[in-house]
Formats: sequence, C-alpha cells, structure tokens
Amino acid sequence: MKVSVSSLYQAVELNQEIPPLLIGERCNPNGSKAFREALLAEDWDSCLKMALDQEARGAQVLDLCVAYAGRDELSDMNTLVKLFAGSCKAPLMLDSTSPETLSAVLPLYPGRAIINSINLEDGGANLDKICALAKKYGAAVVALTITEEGMALTCEKKVAAAKEIYRLAVEKHGLRAQDILFDLLTFTVGSGDEKMRDAAIQTLDAIKQVKKELPGVGFTLGVSNISFGLRPAARKVLNSVFLHEAVAAGLNTAIVDAAKVLPYVAISDEDRQLCLDLLFNRSDDALMNFIEHFEQAVEESDEEESDTLLEEQLRQKVLKGDKEGLEDLLTELRGRWQPLDIINGLLVPAMREVGELFGRGELLLPFVLQSAEVMKQSVNLLEPYMEKLSDEGRTSILLATVAGDVHDIGKNLVDIILSNNGYKVHNIGIKVPAEEIIAKAKELQVDVVGLSGLLVKSALLMKENMLQFQAAGLTQPVLLGGAALTPKFVAEDCVPGYENQVVYCADAFAGLKAIRDFESGSLQSTRWESAAVAANKPGPQQEGIDRSQIPPSVPFLGEKIIEDLPAEPLFNYLNQAALFRGRWGYRRGKMSKEEYAELTDKTVLPLYARLKDQALSENWLQPKVAYGYFDCCSEGDSLLVHSTSGEKRFDFPRQPAPPHLCIADYFRSAEEGGDKVGFFVVTIGDRLAEMTSELYASDSYHDYLMLHGLGVELTDGLAEYWHEQMRIEMGLQQQAQADVAAYVAQGYQGSRYGFGYPACPDLEAHLPLFELVKAQQIGVGLTESFEMVPEMSTSAIVVHHPQAKYFAV
Amino acid sequence: MRYICTCCGYTYDPAKGDEMNQVAPGVEFDDLPDSWVCPLCYATKDQFDPLD
Ligand code: B12
Ligand SMILES: [Zn+2]
Repeated sequence: MKVSVSSLYQAVELNQEIPPLLIGERCNPNGSKAFREALLAEDWDSCLKMALDQEARGAQVLDLCVAYAGRDELSDMNTLVKLFAGSCKAPLMLDSTSPETLSAVLPLYPGRAIINSINLEDGGANLDKICALAKKYGAAVVALTITEEGMALTCEKKVAAAKEIYRLAVEKHGLRAQDILFDLLTFTVGSGDEKMRDAAIQTLDAIKQVKKELPGVGFTLGVSNISFGLRPAARKVLNSVFLHEAVAAGLNTAIVDAAKVLPYVAISDEDRQLCLDLLFNRSDDALMNFIEHFEQAVEESDEEESDTLLEEQLRQKVLKGDKEGLEDLLTELRGRWQPLDIINGLLVPAMREVGELFGRGELLLPFVLQSAEVMKQSVNLLEPYMEKLSDEGRTSILLATVAGDVHDIGKNLVDIILSNNGYKVHNIGIKVPAEEIIAKAKELQVDVVGLSGLLVKSALLMKENMLQFQAAGLTQPVLLGGAALTPKFVAEDCVPGYENQVVYCADAFAGLKAIRDFESGSLQSTRWESAAVAANKPGPQQEGIDRSQIPPSVPFLGEKIIEDLPAEPLFNYLNQAALFRGRWGYRRGKMSKEEYAELTDKTVLPLYARLKDQALSENWLQPKVAYGYFDCCSEGDSLLVHSTSGEKRFDFPRQPAPPHLCIADYFRSAEEGGDKVGFFVVTIGDRLAEMTSELYASDSYHDYLMLHGLGVELTDGLAEYWHEQMRIEMGLQQQAQADVAAYVAQGYQGSRYGFGYPACPDLEAHLPLFELVKAQQIGVGLTESFEMVPEMSTSAIVVHHPQAKYFAV
Repeated sequence: MRYICTCCGYTYDPAKGDEMNQVAPGVEFDDLPDSWVCPLCYATKDQFDPLD
C-alpha cells in the first residue's frame, strides 16, 4: 500500500524503498539552542535556514515545533508554517499538542502534513479534538504510547496503549490505519539501571507485535533516546545499530539527525556485536564492555553546542557541576518527560557516571560535590511538578555518628552522595546512642544502617553497638565508616557481634557500592586475610636517649590563657599541601604536572585567596590558646607533672620492638634532676563550624567541604604557630620563621605530640591535660569520649628534647 | 620522582630515602614496600601524589 505525505512541491512516501524515512528534528526550540535563539529573536530567516540545512543533509520530512515558555505558539506557528510551506520541499510535521494551534495552521498548509502528536495522557480529551482535525484536513498523526499511568515502558503496556489509541482514532474518528504513525517510545540502555536493561527489547518487540496486530499502521521513533548518557562517539554507533534493528522489526520512519547516522555497512563487526550485546541484554557486563571499548573512540566535537540534545545538556550540567540555566533546561525537559523520569532516567544515571569517574581518579572530590549540587537543585526544581518523591521501593538508609562523637562531615558527605544517587537517607545527627539508633531503625523501617565516627573510641563503640543491635533484634546490614576504623578491626571485632552483614566503607563511594550490592543481593561482610601486609611502624632509629640534656628555662610555671590573638598569622602556618590535596581533595591523580599546576593556579589558589580574605574581613576566626609549663619527671613509662592543682600522671606506651621508644624517655627522672614540659590546647572557636553547618543545610556541598577543610588546617596552623611561640619562649629557637615546609618535616628542636596519635594514643589524657591548662577558660570542653568541642581544637604535649620526633608504637 | 603525602604534606625524595622507615637513599617511591607508610602521619602509599 502506498502512503504518502506531501508539500506544495512533492509527495513523499512514508514507506521508502530503503527504509526508514528520515524526519529532521532540529526546528525545535527545546532541542536546538540555535533554533531557540532565532525564535526568541523572531529571526524567521534563520529558522528557515535551519530547515533548509536539514533538507540538504538528508531529511525527508521536517518536524516544526515552536512551543516555548513565554512565546505565543499559535502566532509563531502561523508565521513559520506559511514561510516553510513556500520554501521547503520536504513535507512538514506539525509538532504541537494544542488543538487550537493545529486548527489554525492545518488549513494554511498546501499539502498533506503529519500532526505530532496525540497520546492518552489526559485520558483522551485532547486526542478526540486532534483526531477530528486530522480527519477534517486529511493529515497523518503520530501517536505516543503515553497513558494516564505515564510513558509505557514494557512491550505489554506499549501494545495495550497502541491498541487503545487505534480503537479511538480508527473506530471512533474514522481515521485509516495508515494515517497513524506509532511512536512506541524508547529509553536509554546506557544508564546501567537494572530495570532499563531490556528497554531496546521492549521497544523492538512492541513494534513487531503492533505491526502484526494492527496491520497497516506506520511507526516512528526518537532513535537517539536509546543511548542517552553515553559518549557522543559511542552514541552514534549505537544509534545506528539500533535504527538498523528497529527497521528490521518494522520501523518505517525515524526522527533523527540524518547527519548523525552511520550506514550499517560502515560499522565493524566488533562494534556491531558490542552494540547488539547491549541492545539485546545478552550479558551482565554488556554495558561495561561497550563503554570500555568506546572509551578509546575519538570524540568528535559537536559542530555547535546548541546541537546537543536537551537530555545530553542535562548530563553535561551534572558532569560539569554547572548550575547555570538549569531552571530553563528543566522547564524544557518537562515538556518531554515526566519529572520522575527526568530524575530516574537522566539525573541518576549522570550521577552514577560521576561516581565512576571519581572511582577511576578522573574526577576530584570538589567537582563531585558540585555535581551533587546540580542534582540536588534539579530535584528541588522538579519537586513542585510531581507528587512528593515516593519513598516506596526506594532503598532507605539510617545514618548516625556514634555516641560521644561530634564528627559531622564524614557522615554528611555520605548523606550527600547517597541521597543524590536517589536513595532515601535519614540522617539523625551526631552523638547518637545505640538505643536511639535502634529505635529509629525500627520506627523508620530502614533497609540499611550506617554508622560514622572519627575516633578510636568511636570504633570501639561501634563494636559494642553491634552486640546491642543484635540483642535488640535488628536485621538490617550495617555499614561502618570513619578515620579510625580499619577493615581488619571491622572484620575481626565488629562482624562477629552481628548476625547480618557488617561492612567496612573507606569512603562515601564505598558506601554507595555497598548499597547497590545490598540491592542486588550480593552484599557481604568485610573479610580480613591475616596474611596481608602489616603496616610499617616508622620512627627515629636512635640508639639511646641522651640523658644529659639540660632542661630549658621557661618564662613561667603554671597555665596561661591567650585570647586576643590576631588571625592573620595563622595563614603563614597553614599547610597548603595538606589543605589542597588532602582536605579539599584537589589531588593530582592522573594529571600531568602542567595540568595540575594549571588547576592550582586557576582554581585552587584563587579559591584559597577568596576564603582567606573573607575569613579575615568577616572575622570567622577566634584563635585562642590555653597553655602552660610545668615541672615534671619521668618514672618508667610515665611522666609525673607537678602543678598547683596536684600531681598529674601521664602513661605512655613503649615500642615492643627496637629501638623501644617511649615519650617518657625524653624527660629526666627525679634522680637525674627532673625536667620541664609544656602543654597546650588551641581552638579557632566555633564560628567556622557553625558556618559549615549552615552551608550543609543549604545544600552548598562544595563550599561546605572547602570551608571545613580550611578551618581544620587553620586549627593545625594555630598549633604549629603556638608550638613555635613556645620554642621561642624556651629559647630553643631565636625568632619566628613560619617555615611550613620545614615544620612539616619537624625541622625544629623537640616535638609536639597530639594525644590520640600513635606515640600517645590515650585520649583520656585529656582529663589531666585540661586540668593543667584550664582549657575550659577558652571555651573548649570534652565529650564522654574525650573528644574536644568545638571540633576545630587540638591539643599537645610539648617536648623539648632534641631527639624527640614522631614515632608509632 | 618525588611524592607528596596528601594528608600532611611530607615529601618522599628518593635521593634522601626515609630514615624513619629505614629506607636508604636511592629507593624509588614505586619500589617502597606496600607496608610503607608516611613517616609523619602514617598515611598509606595510595594517599601520595606525584610531585614532579
Ligand atoms: C582533619 C583532622 C583533624 C582536624 C579536624 C577534626 C575534625 N573534627 O574534623 C583537627 C586538626 C582539628 C584534628 C584534631 C584532632 N585529631 Co584529627 N584528624 C584529622 C584527619 C587528618 C582527617 C579527618 C577528616 O576530617 N576527614 C575528612 C572526612 C570527610 O573524612 P571521614 O570523616 O573519615 O569520612 C569519610 C570516610 O571515613 C567515610 N565514612 C565516614 N563515616 C562513614 C559512615 C558510613 C556509613 C560510610 C559508608 C562511610 C563513612 O566516608 C567519608 C567521606 O568519604 C584524621 C586522619 C584521617 N586521615 O582521617 C585525623 C584523626 C581523626 N585525628 C586524630 C586525633 C588523635 C586528633 C586529636 C585528638 C589530636 C589532638 N590531640 O589534638 C584532635 C581531636 C579533635 C577534637 N575535636 O577532639 C586521630 C584519631 C585517632 C584516635 N585516637 O581517636 C586521627 C584518626 C589521626 C590518626 N591517624 O591518628 N584532627
Ligand atoms: Zn603524611
């Protein structure tokens, strides 16, 4: 049967001898930036030029859409249909769902047009009106299989929707079968989403079945949807193979950019097989194989940015962490997709890609956080247009920092990554006792529980928590994370206490992976092979400690409070390498030296300069010090410290292996004449911590990490600065040098050991230390785990002995 | 090639080796054992970045 559409100049058969008939898609403000700009500027000549360009590139029918927020569709359509009708040889596809617009322009068109489109989204009211117009003007119609339930994803639903539309259009409105072009919709197989793996199969099967059950109807399809989320070079190949398969199934027309389809013969056997494996879901790692193979493919730069599809633009925004124009883009996308489909079909796959890039070391943490911000903002912008994101079916996670621990940022980063990958996160805060975690886990019926903690004490508490969880009958898998945890500790101490899985997570992405393993049923408790390497225990290799070292003279005995310190000098003591690479995550990774230098100059240093300016001009810092000098003497592995508040005893561990170092050895015993020791507690106050909480609450993830990192390193800078002051006061150093590089390598006499670090691991020593220097006077307190609050505080014992250097026990 | 500890800023220089870990001068970073850790902050090898 010959079915054709026509323009003023020619008739074009829908069933081409060599299918498919190609429909040009660029004259659409939602798909082409160039067209949008021309439309907004009412530059009709440019609009026409884009139509003629497509003809030249092989389009046989031209889609024309002018629906755009703020424009008058009817009037624009009027203008352009008249213009195109007189100038384009290719027949037009009038892309509008407005009966008013269509009834105004159909009579103007001097040929047989195609209407794009009808569907059952509203139950059929619009369909009725448009079918009546099609009948009246003899137009063909594109019918999308969208029903009140949304877009039809499965073959079964696609066929059912097609039949219903057919019934209405043919039996009720008297259209002929050949007047209908079904667009059975297709979705990407490139997202890695388990549920979408068979998207191609569903569409191809549906084409075959509809063709059989509704003889005579035609088909069309937005072919490139199949490859959203993949790289352009890879997409071109996949689109072409998919088009080939769809045509074999019965597709007679296709909406594509004619210039972006490869002839099937031009595709190598290997490429074809990879595409077919992916399209037909032939193995679990078809997608990985496909991505890996096309990783190498040369990227063709798109002729113009405007040419990239809307969906691709959104992906790019997520990947680049670019929020500009997000609202407009999402408004346009809402014209094509349900909000929920934008989230699950576009945003989540893009975030998954971000995670993979991070895992391969190709994306740095600050950029990951910017991507998460784009995700979060997109969801916020979409939320008003959908029923509240339903929690049903979404995996949910309870997150808490354990009792006695105020450490927030590790847990919050996990929250950011999980919730912006589509999971439901209940973040119940810091210092949460086991009883409360148990109660919440039961009340909220979460699927997984995640615990965080900064300190060794917190790790020990997690071990206890496991027993409590078990006794309380919790059954959820538990994820554990935080600085002081090791996989060994989790495997040997935590796993045995709890019947279900207990999993060590080194970072937020390990947490994400664990959740995905949980969903696929493959989550396993952390195991530890004892044969694995035991870490080195570095330290100075000295033979014996020189006992004849004369104690320095100290400026005073007892404690002193310093509250009016200027903030500016702290920046001279700030360890930039640790801040940039460690706290901020601007690691060099796979970059060349030059690339890294460029990143440092263009991004990192300007950011640092800006934050420094703001910190000083807006008084973010309140550096304070509580410190003192005391008479003391060593006694075996202990140090006895004399003060007006009584004698305080500090016990230190000794290395079990040579050279058997112990901090007490750096001090003379009572018999040797006694010694002098210094202590300090320093803090930059709680202003910065408050500001970071606000940034977190307002979803400014990137700035949150940056500011927190800055505060942390300034705290350490303050400790470095004050240690230098004390060396000067004791006459161990002549004047201030602020030589960060040398200080990192302990290029000075003596050492400062922080309690909790390996040479003096016992944090309980904070109790006598606080009594000695009266740290509460500068506003620093202790939690039940002897953690200091405000968190941006640090403590140390100051040792003057020249042989004293860091070591591990 | 020199490597820097992203955690504390310590630089491992093969020309100098690492006395604290009893590593003689002349050992390339890549040839350090997996059990090697930063002599100052105990960060593991994977937390180091190439410097040159
Ligand atoms: C920066 C830092 C500081 C800063 C800031 C501290 C703070 N509250 O943020 C300052 C300089 C102030 C500081 C001080 C001290 N510190 Co400190 N510090 C660190 C350091 C270098 C990084 C911590 C950090 O902020 N990391 C960044 C965050 C984002 O990472 P994170 O919390 O680990 O979270 C990530 C993962 O662990 C994981 N994760 C965490 N939780 C969870 C949960 C789940 C469910 C999942 C899936 C994943 C997950 O994902 C997160 C994101 O990727 C660590 C060592 C290290 N390399 O981790 C030592 C460390 C925590 N500090 C230590 C010590 C000893 C101290 C002090 C006690 C020293 C002293 N005497 O003053 C004080 C205590 C401070 C206080 N308030 O009481 C020890 C703790 C050991 C112990 N005995 O408990 C550590 C482990 C160093 C060490 N190797 O010994 N410290
Ligand atoms: Zn280090």
